[in-house]
Amino acid sequence: MARPRLGGPDAVRRLIWYGLVGLILVWCAAVPPAGGNLSLYFSLMMWVTLATGLNFIAGFAGYMPFGYVAFYGIGTYTTGIAVKVLGLSVYAAVPIAGGVGVLLALLFAPTLRLSGIYFAIVSLSLAIICQRLVSLLPEEITGGSLGINLGVITIREHGYYTMLLVLVLALLTASWLARSRLGKALKAIRDDPEAAEAMGVNVPRSRLFAWLLSALFAALTGGVQAWFTGALDPQTAFDVLITAKTVIYAMAGGLGTVLGPLIGTVVLVWVDELIWRSFPVLNNFLLGLIIAALILFVPRGIVGSLMQRYPRVRRYIM
Amino acid sequence: MSAALLAVDGLVKRFGGLVAVRDVSFTVNRGNIVGLIGINGAGKTTLMNCVNGIYRTDSGRVTFDGHDITRRTPHEIAAHGVGRTFQVPRTFHRLSLIDNLMIPVLGSDLSDAELTEQAEACLARVNLYDLRGNNGEELSGGQQKLLELARVMMFDPRLILLDEPFAGVNPSLCRIMIHEIEAMRAAGTTFLLVSHDLTSIYRLSNHLLVLNQGEIIAEGGVADVRDNPDVIEAYLGN
Amino acid sequence: MNSVLLINGLLGGIVFGMVYALIGASLNVLCGVLRIINFAHGEFIIAGGFFAYVMLTFLGLNPLYTLPVAAAAFFVAGYGLYYLLIPRLARSDEPETSSFLLMFGVSLMLVSSMIWIFEADVRPVNFSFDPINLVLFTVEDAYGPGRDGRVIVPTARLVALAINAAIIIAMTWFLYRTLPGKAMRAAIMNREAVQIVGIDIHRLSAWAFGLAAALAGVTGVVMTLVVPSIDPNGGADFTLIGFIVIVLGGLGHPVGALAAGVLFGLVEQMSNVLLPQAAAQMLGFMILVAVIFFKPAGLFGLERSR
Repeated sequence: MARPRLGGPDAVRRLIWYGLVGLILVWCAAVPPAGGNLSLYFSLMMWVTLATGLNFIAGFAGYMPFGYVAFYGIGTYTTGIAVKVLGLSVYAAVPIAGGVGVLLALLFAPTLRLSGIYFAIVSLSLAIICQRLVSLLPEEITGGSLGINLGVITIREHGYYTMLLVLVLALLTASWLARSRLGKALKAIRDDPEAAEAMGVNVPRSRLFAWLLSALFAALTGGVQAWFTGALDPQTAFDVLITAKTVIYAMAGGLGTVLGPLIGTVVLVWVDELIWRSFPVLNNFLLGLIIAALILFVPRGIVGSLMQRYPRVRRYIM
Repeated sequence: MSAALLAVDGLVKRFGGLVAVRDVSFTVNRGNIVGLIGINGAGKTTLMNCVNGIYRTDSGRVTFDGHDITRRTPHEIAAHGVGRTFQVPRTFHRLSLIDNLMIPVLGSDLSDAELTEQAEACLARVNLYDLRGNNGEELSGGQQKLLELARVMMFDPRLILLDEPFAGVNPSLCRIMIHEIEAMRAAGTTFLLVSHDLTSIYRLSNHLLVLNQGEIIAEGGVADVRDNPDVIEAYLGN
Repeated sequence: MNSVLLINGLLGGIVFGMVYALIGASLNVLCGVLRIINFAHGEFIIAGGFFAYVMLTFLGLNPLYTLPVAAAAFFVAGYGLYYLLIPRLARSDEPETSSFLLMFGVSLMLVSSMIWIFEADVRPVNFSFDPINLVLFTVEDAYGPGRDGRVIVPTARLVALAINAAIIIAMTWFLYRTLPGKAMRAAIMNREAVQIVGIDIHRLSAWAFGLAAALAGVTGVVMTLVVPSIDPNGGADFTLIGFIVIVLGGLGHPVGALAAGVLFGLVEQMSNVLLPQAAAQMLGFMILVAVIFFKPAGLFGLERSR
């Protein structure tokens, strides 16, 4: 029997993906010198990073963390406190924010024993507890319910480029994970955790790894966001809408694919802008409608549905 | 090296007040195919789930190749060399067939290319090679059973627990399965086989265990068990 | 600590606890029968409040009379919503988490519709009973010699408590003593098995959805008696309380939710009385965290086998 090697398509897939990442890198890096809209591109990069980070635990391992914003929020606060209270440089604060996010994820790791919807609501409850806890801490540390005003820390471009760095790291981590054995183990856990375990997959260890990775990128994003905007408060830093948008963006593109969260975010952020401009009153109504329509009619997202309907597409995209 | 690869001693599993497996002891010798039969609800699948660690046993001991594997997690037991298939096929539905076969060997030292080659060979043995790039969900029920068999072959375990491998599989696919099971046994693999299909189980097994209401009511060679009045009564009622 | 405050805390705890119990129980009926967590539940409740508000403001109807109308209207809405949304969900890979997101979308739509119609202000519901307050009893020398303390409760809250108790009794009776109720409990235990014995799972699920919506609407009306104002943005708080109650009581366990709701209400109101404000706000959550980590099946839930 003739056996064509499978290395071919994988090389094509990789070429397309790394080309795309390179393009994004060049494009986004060119925005500040070209005088483009920094805030718009910053928020685009931020959402792509969040959606890609969420994909590690939600798309690969199949756990839907509805409290994902907890890691983002803790990241913003770590930067805020490190800079304002401890007087650290913001360049040190962002990596610390990532580390604190990972620590929080370790603390929440026992919740991974729960599954499905139960995990989702427990995760959401924990995020809200974090929000309350932060606003109840002494004002000299967290600024209470008013939050922290950092003001302008560095030139804005530095925050922008740091976000770009985090974004590229997230995208490369995603493609590495998708091709790695760990990524396969995670997808097996998503499809059937019991069967995966019976096939020798170390389920607790694999999903913990995905969980920590997800938390790391959310916390880094939060850390950079606090730096870029210069202000933070518990209401916006731990807003449930942040998780919701992240989930929707990732899902719209296709959870469990590498390209999905990127495509979904770009498309929906653009749609969101259109809605804002045309129907400011109905903004949230339309967002809700889009969410409902996506879940009912395109449950696997744009990229996921394409891959499902046209198997040939699988040869070109990850 | 003792003859017994798997030894189950005094195993008990309760669900609330219901005793699903009641003080069961048996051994599975190396290179044998041991058939486990019994009517629905006799405790066959529960027993399998206890052996491979999906259920925590309440008491008793499970020894595999001299190691006590009682109450170990399924992945630790798998690492000792115990593979299994499921009554209702549990393939990874959003992984390609090749990737489905990679799951049991993720810890292997071989390179991905070598493993892919092995996976392709296993798929070819069960006539699924042409579908290798498809996802698990794109297979029919019978093909999923074959995929499970290929997946467990890939694993190359010393003991395979087969739970109703022939249920819902058409006769021609069944023949492939029986052929592959016999080939693996000839290569030294040991099996514990649960099936309702008495014809296949009589043909394949060297030794039979009959489970009824969580207890072993008879065991022995096929001929002894087939004519045992207790077994006939358990199957046909009185 | 004087006994008047303590008794007031206890009473408040029971009044709020019963509301929480009702929220949790209706969420759990849905969760049990349909494996759906209704993220829009809080918005259903707020919509119930607005229903009472509209009836009172424009028709001059007492919320007590509104109650059966609200129940019927919300039942029909829930029943219809089921057929509109849920059967399609079965095609998704993860119906449970998808339902969570779907209902989140619904909740966004409901909030912005309500803000669009009623604007983003808190609306007062100007309705009171005569007398406004009831003096339950007097504690002699509560604040020192000669200064008696009186335990006073707004009449509306007592009425709310009575209505709530009646609804809870009726719901429990429905679930344990009537055929459709038993079918729902059977569906909670094993969704597949009830279909085999000839129950139309879609109709039963639509009933459960309608029932949960009706209970939410009624909760909203009753809530206007407990706290006489409605905030179109307030739904999320109710939803969160509902989540806490069902996690405490055990997922898909309506009676567990009743107990957990009352318990949570008591803890919340008593700690408001006994502890400094910051600590009081956290106590309920601390209990929740403890339950999540040490008894993940809930206080009244059954442990699933591994």
